[in-house]
Amino acid sequence: MYRNKLLSFIVLLPIFVFSCKKEMSIDAPGNLVPKTADQNSSLPSIVINGAKLHAETFGDPNDPIIFILHGGPAADYRYLLNCKELAENGYFVVFYDQRGTGLSQRFPRSYYTGIQTSFDDLNGVIAHYRKSAAQKIFLLGHSWGAMLVGAYINQYPNAVNGAVLAEPGGLKWKDVDDYVKRSRKMDITGEALNNATYMDQFLTGKEDEHTILDYKYKLLASTGDENENVGNEGSLPFWRSGFVLQDVYFDIIKKENSDWTTHLNQFKTKILFVYSERNKAYGLTHAEKVSSAFPNVQLFETKGAGHDMLSFSTGWNNSRPIILNYFNALK
Amino acid sequence: MKHKIVIIITVLLCTFCNYCHAQSINWAGLKEEDRHLLNLNVGIDYGVIYGIGYGYHLKSKLPVVLNAEFSIPSGNKFFDDFKTKIGAHVKLLEVSNIAVSLNVNGVFRRYENTLVRLSNFGATANVIIGYYGPKWYVNGEFGFDKAIVTHFKHKDAYKSNFPEVKDGWYEPSTGGNVQCGMQVGYSFNNSDVYLKGGKTIAQDFKTSPTIPVYIQLGYNLKLK
Repeated sequence: MYRNKLLSFIVLLPIFVFSCKKEMSIDAPGNLVPKTADQNSSLPSIVINGAKLHAETFGDPNDPIIFILHGGPAADYRYLLNCKELAENGYFVVFYDQRGTGLSQRFPRSYYTGIQTSFDDLNGVIAHYRKSAAQKIFLLGHSWGAMLVGAYINQYPNAVNGAVLAEPGGLKWKDVDDYVKRSRKMDITGEALNNATYMDQFLTGKEDEHTILDYKYKLLASTGDENENVGNEGSLPFWRSGFVLQDVYFDIIKKENSDWTTHLNQFKTKILFVYSERNKAYGLTHAEKVSSAFPNVQLFETKGAGHDMLSFSTGWNNSRPIILNYFNALK
Repeated sequence: MKHKIVIIITVLLCTFCNYCHAQSINWAGLKEEDRHLLNLNVGIDYGVIYGIGYGYHLKSKLPVVLNAEFSIPSGNKFFDDFKTKIGAHVKLLEVSNIAVSLNVNGVFRRYENTLVRLSNFGATANVIIGYYGPKWYVNGEFGFDKAIVTHFKHKDAYKSNFPEVKDGWYEPSTGGNVQCGMQVGYSFNNSDVYLKGGKTIAQDFKTSPTIPVYIQLGYNLKLK
């Protein structure tokens, strides 16, 4: 009798608990991740190639333009907003969240067939803001953004007047793969790896269930904050991770065994290639290997910083003068 | 012979599709007077896992073991993540040395990282078919692990980036994984040692968890 009562209590308790609360849907926009530009009209945005891209600008639109390309590709430009200070030195600085990530509009996995989509978007963004053919165009990319800068220059060697590449994983798939493996190397019994894997029993998402996939990817990416390999000072600010973009792009790059170095010898302008002192997975050797595809390279090591050297005060304060000098020399 | 072929095929099928995480019992080695089962296990199950379990063998016509399990993943923060299960393992059918059993559990689990704390009520159900001899056993199992309702409590690190995030209970189900696999065990005196393994796949049968495999080495001690 006592056992039956106990069993009834155990069964009914959760029912009472949950019936008293108003449950929320994980798929509803704005519950777990922010609404995107197509869901929230108050966000600053531009329409490029049929996509509503979250974008902001700083400075005089007639000045030489620096386009900031964020990493990931599942990240967003929030963590690179230090770069808006470049506007104080006579540059028009343009930030945009790449298609499918940040606060930009999402697209289904089947939409993406190659990184030409990102080239087309960058071409569209440049065309949107450029006032005249005489207005100089510079690119500043970090991590995946720097890979995109390299790939874009490889595709369009005459399109830009200069570029800063900050720790691109690589410009060939093999280099990217090697770097990613080194940077994600974790102790099998460590807290970071456990945090990355244990949540799989709490959250699962189907192919285009963006909200849950984006949220889950953010939890996964945050384990990088606990990964000492990349040497960051703390957690990066963010809006929303774009899991589908991340997943499909890496699949494509791997499948195509991408090589974005084949035409880089046509780009004679000096590039500034930045790497960080504390990122154990990168270092001078990898920086020299990746940058060697460019004929004219200025290598710079940011002291006292990790992979996200443009986001934290030490790294930004040490990188900013050299970046500014580089752009000023080409201005 | 026909039964053995069916069982072998079932076990192999289960092995190919996935793994299960259900209490391992040698029904042939479980005596009527055995009342208490103590379990220790270590393995890989969404991380490196250490677990303990307790089973109570009911005095009933239908063989039933009420069970409770507790496990934690490795890491330097103890008890920020854990899983508890409470349920029953019932032998439904036995023909010669072939037995079919059902293991149903309610699950409460917790996950915490730098951004959020998740508390989840879920359920698992596993069907286990296998050969059970006095000294050894082999079986295959197919199961489903459903995260039915989950409470999200975000930390300042997340709220500082997205202040409008809504904490609270979320449903319908936030996740689920299909599991199947196989286990082999050796029984001696009042003990069982077993090894089980396989893989896990998400409920859409397309995506896999970050660690798509399962391995567990366990020890059961049976007491009167």
